[in-house]
Amino acid sequence: MSIQAHGVSWSTAGRLIVDDVSLAITPGETVGLLGPNGSGKSSLLRLLCGLRRTTGGLITFDDTPIETLGRRDVARRLALVEQSATTDADVTVLDVVRLGRTPWRSMLSGWREEDSVAVEQALAQVGMGARRHQNWHTLSGGERQRVHIARALAQRPRELLLDEPTNHLDIQHQLEILALVRRLSTTCVMALHDLNLAAMFCDQLVLLKEGRVAAAGTPESVLTCERIRDVYGVETVIERSPHHGCLHVHYLPQKSPVGMSD
Amino acid sequence: MSLTAPGTRHRQGLHLGLIVLALAVLTLAMALAVSIGEIHIPLATTFKALGNALGVSDYPLDRIHESIIREYRLSRALVAACCGAGLALCGAILQALLRNPLAEPYVLGISAGASTGAVCIMVLGVGGGVIGLSLGAFLGALGAFAVVLALSRGASTSPNRIILAGVAGSQLFNALTAWVISTSASAEQVRGIMFWLLGNLGGVRWPDVTLALAVVIPGFVICLLFARALDAFTFGQDAAAALGIPVGAVRLILFAVTALMTATMVSMVGAIGFVGLVIPHAARFIVGPAHVRLLPASLLIGAIFMVLADIVSRVILPNQSLPIGVVTALVGAPVFAMILYRAKPPL
Repeated sequence: MSIQAHGVSWSTAGRLIVDDVSLAITPGETVGLLGPNGSGKSSLLRLLCGLRRTTGGLITFDDTPIETLGRRDVARRLALVEQSATTDADVTVLDVVRLGRTPWRSMLSGWREEDSVAVEQALAQVGMGARRHQNWHTLSGGERQRVHIARALAQRPRELLLDEPTNHLDIQHQLEILALVRRLSTTCVMALHDLNLAAMFCDQLVLLKEGRVAAAGTPESVLTCERIRDVYGVETVIERSPHHGCLHVHYLPQKSPVGMSD
Repeated sequence: MSLTAPGTRHRQGLHLGLIVLALAVLTLAMALAVSIGEIHIPLATTFKALGNALGVSDYPLDRIHESIIREYRLSRALVAACCGAGLALCGAILQALLRNPLAEPYVLGISAGASTGAVCIMVLGVGGGVIGLSLGAFLGALGAFAVVLALSRGASTSPNRIILAGVAGSQLFNALTAWVISTSASAEQVRGIMFWLLGNLGGVRWPDVTLALAVVIPGFVICLLFARALDAFTFGQDAAAALGIPVGAVRLILFAVTALMTATMVSMVGAIGFVGLVIPHAARFIVGPAHVRLLPASLLIGAIFMVLADIVSRVILPNQSLPIGVVTALVGAPVFAMILYRAKPPL
């Protein structure tokens, strides 16, 4: 197991956001975190990478509690791609990807050969090598997300956490980003909204409802009509797609609630 | 293809050249500042006097000239340079930490707080002398900082909130300053204070130079050590933390350094606005956003700008000098408006 959460809870401003969540991430797998808005996906990701302190329970990396690791040690093994993070600064693609080397450089150390190698490989992995000198503000949403992923890869992480990496992207770019993540050998945990894309690109799914794990396992075991009705309140028909072989969720029109029909 | 990415030899050489050029311009600006005044002193005399003062030469010079240079103008030019450097550095640090292009000590009300503290010492007579005034200004700056940060809690999600908090803080501390002045100060004190609130390099002497250097040089070294950490703040606090930066500690140290530098400057020369705003933007335009280059560039350009602003404040009106804060505001306010106008809408 790489990252494990043991009965993790987190509350803020008197509200319980993450409630007794336990999960274990298998190395090399791509795990999708699903759930309605406000179900605690982003909060759980932030707990998993130590940006927030748990109010209960324990998070471990290879059985080492995260509290006993320094910020820098965590950043050397785990990278986070935030939801549409942007900046006012006039930075280039290369400037952003180089930030990924921050945890590997001390206060006074210079830029080393291995830093360059990591940055070059990361740029190549996301296909932005030729555009390294382009200004951040001239990039499209999809390109920015690719640059963020390259920055995260330059950290040389063992685990990559992504918070809705396809948010605000058109379908072509959503598919492109998810295929890119899927190709990586790094263990990935990502919050997603689209159930069909999650079924296509993830090995394992974790479905959250009001901060609790409603189901966890393979897409086949997690995505059932009953559970989606329970968690999202939506009627569905789920079948295996004859076109790509993954599960496909058909959403059915909602019946008008009683009293609104006449 | 070269893999020594961040600074190829060529670019490193270019930046070294720029630093040498800036130092030369700064020296020239300071020489001009020493020469220009009610009694004009030729530039050559200025350099000779400087050589004599450093003990590397022994030119026979007019004793009045030499004593004006030594006692008044050289110390004034040095303090101007230190203040410009320190305020510009503070602006660059605050803009990075708060991720707001409009952040600087004056806009955030830190200068106003320092003024309140200093005025309390001056008028209410708590303590006395240079140290007492500095301490009052320092405590005032810290107080203002605490108020502004408390008002802007959660500023990481809304970078503009800190500016609004700064406006509120400035108003509060300016009101307190006005209250102290109007209830306790004599007419003569009021005139002195008003001039001082707008910035005044007239009273500085050698002890001020020592203090200014003792604050700006270590302050700059500390900030430079955190240059890489400041780069990591490009995408916000969480992004910096995810890159392994101890965000809380870095913020605490750099806010403390900023407050100390600002407070010392304000206690010596009064509240001088917009230097911290304009100079980092100019520096970014020349050397780019990486702090390892931006911080030295802000320091040097800030020093040059303030020395030139001091010259302008002394020569623009015949037989009268304008408060230096007026000169910096006349340059800075339009630039502030320009940045506001160009600011990209939040996504």
